[in-house]
Amino acid sequence: MMHCRLRIQSWLCCLLPVLLTACGAGPRPAAEDESVNLSIPDEVAGWHGAGDWEVYDTDTIYAYIDGQAEVYMAYGMVRCLSRRYSGPEGEPDIVLDLFEQASPADAFGVFTHDRDGEDVDVGQGGLFRNGWLSFWKGHWFGSVYIEGESEASKEAVLALGRAVADTITEVGEVPPLVAELPEEDLDPRSVRFLHTQEILNGVVYLGYENALRFGPDVDAVVGRYQRPDGGAWLLLVDYPDEAAAQMAEGGAIEAGIAVRRKGSRLAAVLAPEPQTAGDGLLADAIRGE
Amino acid sequence: MGNNKLNRRDFFSVGTGAAAAGLLGGRAGADKDETPPTSRVVLIRKSEVLDDEGKADPKVLHRMLNEGVAELLGETDAAAAWRQLFSPSDVVGIKSNVWSRLPTPAALEEALQFELERVGVAPENIAVDDRNVKSNPVFRRATSFINTRPLRTHDWSGLGTCIKNLITFTERYPDYHGDACAPLGSIWLRPEIKGKVRLNVLVMLTPQFHSTGPHSFSQEFVWPYGGLILGVDPVAVDATGARIIEAKRKLHFGDDRPISPPPHHIQVADTQYGLGISDPERIEVVRLGWKENTLI
Repeated sequence: MMHCRLRIQSWLCCLLPVLLTACGAGPRPAAEDESVNLSIPDEVAGWHGAGDWEVYDTDTIYAYIDGQAEVYMAYGMVRCLSRRYSGPEGEPDIVLDLFEQASPADAFGVFTHDRDGEDVDVGQGGLFRNGWLSFWKGHWFGSVYIEGESEASKEAVLALGRAVADTITEVGEVPPLVAELPEEDLDPRSVRFLHTQEILNGVVYLGYENALRFGPDVDAVVGRYQRPDGGAWLLLVDYPDEAAAQMAEGGAIEAGIAVRRKGSRLAAVLAPEPQTAGDGLLADAIRGE
Repeated sequence: MGNNKLNRRDFFSVGTGAAAAGLLGGRAGADKDETPPTSRVVLIRKSEVLDDEGKADPKVLHRMLNEGVAELLGETDAAAAWRQLFSPSDVVGIKSNVWSRLPTPAALEEALQFELERVGVAPENIAVDDRNVKSNPVFRRATSFINTRPLRTHDWSGLGTCIKNLITFTERYPDYHGDACAPLGSIWLRPEIKGKVRLNVLVMLTPQFHSTGPHSFSQEFVWPYGGLILGVDPVAVDATGARIIEAKRKLHFGDDRPISPPPHHIQVADTQYGLGISDPERIEVVRLGWKENTLI
């Protein structure tokens, strides 16, 4: 694959807000674009921006993050802005990656893909673990990665993450579907928002057949429950219309997945242990008529 | 079972000549036998192969390679083993892996080239490549391949394996991404590859047992295992590596966090594409060298 990344000269950094507004922000209304005003600092806690900003699009991203691009693409990645920061002598470099996703819900979705780590106050949600800070805010998912952890570099990562998040004035909304998961016995850290079976397969493996008829216009949320009678994953899926939900219901039943449907919403219990563990969950998720 | 499943005779052709004996644990030719075939791989480890920073000592690594190949092919002399695998008339592509965080060590690539030249393969008939194999003139006229890469976790296929390493021979990687990359084995049936991979070397020097972040890498999730897994059967090699990663994840996380998604492209390569054997019960793992914390 040809690596035809765009290069932004350092002197253009001050124009980054203009660039972000002007080129390829997709179908987002201008009013939303105006809220994007990134003026990312050139120096944070002794780490300095090294080299140019690089911009990866939906083609070039595969070469940049070999093996991971699919995750961001599954949430409608628009582009990735990347810059390396060099630290004081003997300290590791820091790599800042900012992924613009199709919507705030998608930025949140990417954030939920990996929920390990300690909560940190960065953006609308931040996690730090093993030399890696992730956060989301508005349409943006941020990743700040240390190439070899040290105490000083951890502080710098958090400072850089906060500085970047502060420049994003847009505030996104957590997908409302998330709040539809019954709260009782839910492990909040287990919650993932997604659109594709490939992403779900990384949580609960369902195999190749798209029994639940996932697609780009389908929103889903999955969470893990541990109750006295056992554990299970509860999946809630919102389809574009009732007919699509009905089709998915049929496919799920055929695949042996316990489901319950109301209108265009489907609830499914996945990987229950023991088999009966999810019965109550379905009833809690979708009350009968 | 897919229509393009190799039959047993094709399966033997994964290796060539006497090398096939190494593939099936000495049972090569047992077509009429009802006992399921077995595979044989060599797991060789040396604690001294890595320095404190995880860098491989080229001499120790070269010795490991030769000891492993000799054992795999049932020879006491490494040179004789290499001569079982290759002849002076061969054109050999060494399919490496350049992933920046955990590439195939240059010292291993050099050791492989050295041994090929010692067999008598002309230097101009040997090439090392990863991303540009489709356009590499040596790879385009190759009569055989060596396939080598480090083992690591991978968000889409579960594991980056020897089976997966050949994806750069394809035109569109996403075509192989469905069902946790289950179709990867089909790549090995392409005319330019089928029957030509004579040796797989899964690098287990510092394997990666968990991925994190867009760059899929953290030093916390690699460890100094100091090993190589060698085999003619890529499925048996990968299945053995997968067991080590699973064991390491259990040790590290202390709870049930299996490789996710499951790397079932290894099993599918066996059951659907007939590339080798994935059932650990049918894989003989010959262990050489350092035995501490082998994990399997």
